[in-house]
Parts: sequence; C-alpha cells; structure tokens
Amino acid sequence: MQANGVNAAPATDRGAPAPSDAKGKHRISAELKRLEQEARFLEEEISELEKIEKVSASLHELLLQVESRRDPLLPETTGSTSTSWDRWFEGPQDMPGCRCWVFWF
Amino acid sequence: MSVAELKERHIAATATVNSLRERLKQRQQLLVDTDMAAYGRSQGRSAISFGSTDLVCCRTLQGHTGKVYSLDWTPERNRIVSASQDGRLIVWNALTSQKTHAIKLQCPWVVTCAFAPNGQSVACGGLNSACSIFNLNSQVDRDGNIPVSQILTGHKGYVYSCQYVPDQETRLITSSGDQTCILWDVTTGQRISVFGGEFPSGHTADVLSVSINSSNSNMFVSGSCDTTARLWDTRIASRAVRTYHGHQGDVNTVKFFPDGQRFGTGSNDSTCRLYDMRTGHQLQVYSQQHDGDDNDIPTVTSIAFSISGRLLFAGYSSGACYVWDTLLAEVVLNLGELQNSHEGCISCLDLSSDGSALCTGSWDKKLKIWAFGGQRRVI
Repeated sequence: MQANGVNAAPATDRGAPAPSDAKGKHRISAELKRLEQEARFLEEEISELEKIEKVSASLHELLLQVESRRDPLLPETTGSTSTSWDRWFEGPQDMPGCRCWVFWF
Repeated sequence: MSVAELKERHIAATATVNSLRERLKQRQQLLVDTDMAAYGRSQGRSAISFGSTDLVCCRTLQGHTGKVYSLDWTPERNRIVSASQDGRLIVWNALTSQKTHAIKLQCPWVVTCAFAPNGQSVACGGLNSACSIFNLNSQVDRDGNIPVSQILTGHKGYVYSCQYVPDQETRLITSSGDQTCILWDVTTGQRISVFGGEFPSGHTADVLSVSINSSNSNMFVSGSCDTTARLWDTRIASRAVRTYHGHQGDVNTVKFFPDGQRFGTGSNDSTCRLYDMRTGHQLQVYSQQHDGDDNDIPTVTSIAFSISGRLLFAGYSSGACYVWDTLLAEVVLNLGELQNSHEGCISCLDLSSDGSALCTGSWDKKLKIWAFGGQRRVI
C-alpha cells in the first residue's frame, strides 16, 4: 500500500508465497474438507438414530432364531441330525502320544 | 483465505466433529436398555452344559515347523489351508490328517491365508504388503514348488487379513497396515475399490481383520487398531456405512454371526463383543476374569460362531480357548484345559462349513480339530 508517495514493502513481501506455504495451505484445506464431510456424516447418523428401536426390540427374534437352528456342536439340538457330523470319529483318530511324522521338507 | 484463518477453521471443525461424536455416542447409549444375557435370563434360559468328554480333540495336524498364524476351511467341508512362521502354506485333508500341498513362499513373513470358494486356489498375505495367489492344480516347478499365479500389489502396508468373496472365485478383500481394505479382481490383479485411506470415515490405524457377510456378500466388516469395527458396502467405497465403538484396544478379529445381521469382534482389551449390524447397537460384551496378574491380560486373537450362533469360540494369547454361550454370556468350556489341547497362544480358529468341527491353530506349531463326541439329544 502506498502512503505519501512512498513505495510499499519490499518486493519479496509482495511476491508469490513460498512453495512450502502453498503446500501447507493445500494440506490444511484438504483436511478441513474431510472434517466438514465427517461432521455431515455424523449429523446424518444422529438423525437416523431417531428411527432406530431400542436393543431389547431385536433380542427376542435373535433368541428364537438361534434356538431354532440345528447345531452339530451342541449337546441338545433341534431338527434332524446328520450322520456326516460324526465323520470325525470314524477311522483313525488322534492317538495321544503318537508322534508319527511325514517329513516333507 | 490465509493459512491462519484456515487453521482456525480447522480447529473449530475438529471441535465440532468431536462434539458430534460424543453426542452420537450418548444418543446410542440411551437406546441400550438391556443386553443379550440379561434378556436371555429374563426369558428363563440357562447356559449350555457340556459333559467332560463332549467336545474333544479328534485330530492334531502336525507338519509346520513354526508358529501357525492363520487357517481357513474350504466350503466343501474337509480341507484346510494354514499359514505359518515357517514361511509355508500347507493344505490339509482334515479328515485323514494328510497334507495334500506344501507351498514354500518367496516371502516367508506370511500372516494370513484363505481358500477360494471352489477350493482350487489359495491366497496369502503378509509383511511384503502383497497378496499372493496359488492355483493348487498348477504344475510344480523343478524345485517341487507350486508357482505363484498372481500377486496383488497396491497396499502400502502389511497385509493382515484376506478373504475371498463367497461364491465369487475372482474377488478377494484384503486389510492392511495402510489403514485401508481393498477389493481385488484376482484374475486381472487390479484393485476394484479401496475402502478408507483418503476418504473420511475410514479407519485411522492398521486394519487387522475382515469378515464378509455370507448372506449379503456386498457387505463386510473390518476391525482395526483404532479400536473400532466398520461396516462397508463394496458398492460404495467412499465412506463406511457405520462405525462400531466400544472396545478399548485393537480389534484383532471380526466375524459375522450366522444370520448375517450381527457380527462379533475380539480385541486386545480381552473382550469379545456382539454388535447389531443395522442399528449399530452393542448387544453383549463377553468378558472373563483371567488367571495371572493384571499386567498380563490375554488378548483375543480369533473368534468364530457355531453354525446356530449359540456358541462363540474365542482364542486367547494365553492359550485359553473359551467357548461362550452367546445368549447368556457365560463361559461353558475352555478347550485350553481339555486333554490334548494346545501348548501355546491360540492364533486362529474357524468352523467347518457344516459346523461339525472347529479347527484351532497355535504358536505350538500345530492345528487341532475339535468335534462333538458325546451323546446328542434331539429336541
């Protein structure tokens, strides 16, 4: 800015910003955009919560569903069993103390 | 706008985001009026009771010469691929205990492996930041090794976890120390989508595990060192669908519940948790007092649900393998205390596709198969 005909600050102060300044500004600007977008996502999530039911509402359905499915690893299970579940007990099994190795390497 | 003004806006935006996160957490808490165990007890349910010889170790798979880090079953029930510190993948017939393939890896630092849905290929990943694919039907080279058929490169950090998309031989998802997950086309080796990274709502630390929803393979969850799990839609890479908070430490393992509507997590904070995928609710915390001093709290390394979801198997760094009744949040068995159990940290575990067997892998270099050998009662 000129005042009383005197030149303004030296040329170096009015030149293009140093490369590191421009890079810093760009980085901060990009991070700011990300934060603003994150804030919008969070606001959306908060408003969606208005439509979500409490935890207890879904647990009854979960309980019934789990109990209605047959499960080979349970001592007590619904529905029919399958003979293939017991294939692990047919034929040679783990013998404690047996250390037979097939050396491949 | 000057740098100073931008910095001021950045500070204000950070405060806004933190405040919104807190508000979201508080609103979510208001909806948590009970948990699974309290509800189960209120409905008169009692915990599963196992006899001492009900769940037994019926196979020990020996052959690795280093710690076992990862395992995966084939969909056709009986075969397993395992990855080890010895720098090898081994493919096992779990029924006969025989090794059908042994693959010596070029990069020995492998931490994850997966079977393709058709059982013809295996994938592995690790500290080379890449995922390698091997076709088991390939002709071996002159050293007797199966040559690599594809290398998926692009991650800028270690590959901690990989899983093929169910029913899609050509799609695979990896998770990485570069804070992203990637969906790959295995045939071309190209990245289809990158989840996280430069986009907001991505993980902010290493991503240690993924689990793809078998009921809807467009959805997968990831677990991270940032203590959260996140849900992703493979069709929308630009943002996570939802973020699940609660854990106080790294989320080492995530696994979908059999119904595809919930998922479980396991963490360095020594707890497992069950979340509702759609609502984001934490349905249950599975937390147990462990033996030993407070400075040595065991981490949860791996989890899997039985096929009905009634049992949650959790492997711990202490060598414990707790069997949780998921409905009542009680430990009903510790496989680590049974006869013929592992002698070290349980690093990985998973159920066979028909749910009839559990395979555990350990730092004792072995894999073990567990099945129900007792008298089954049918209701």
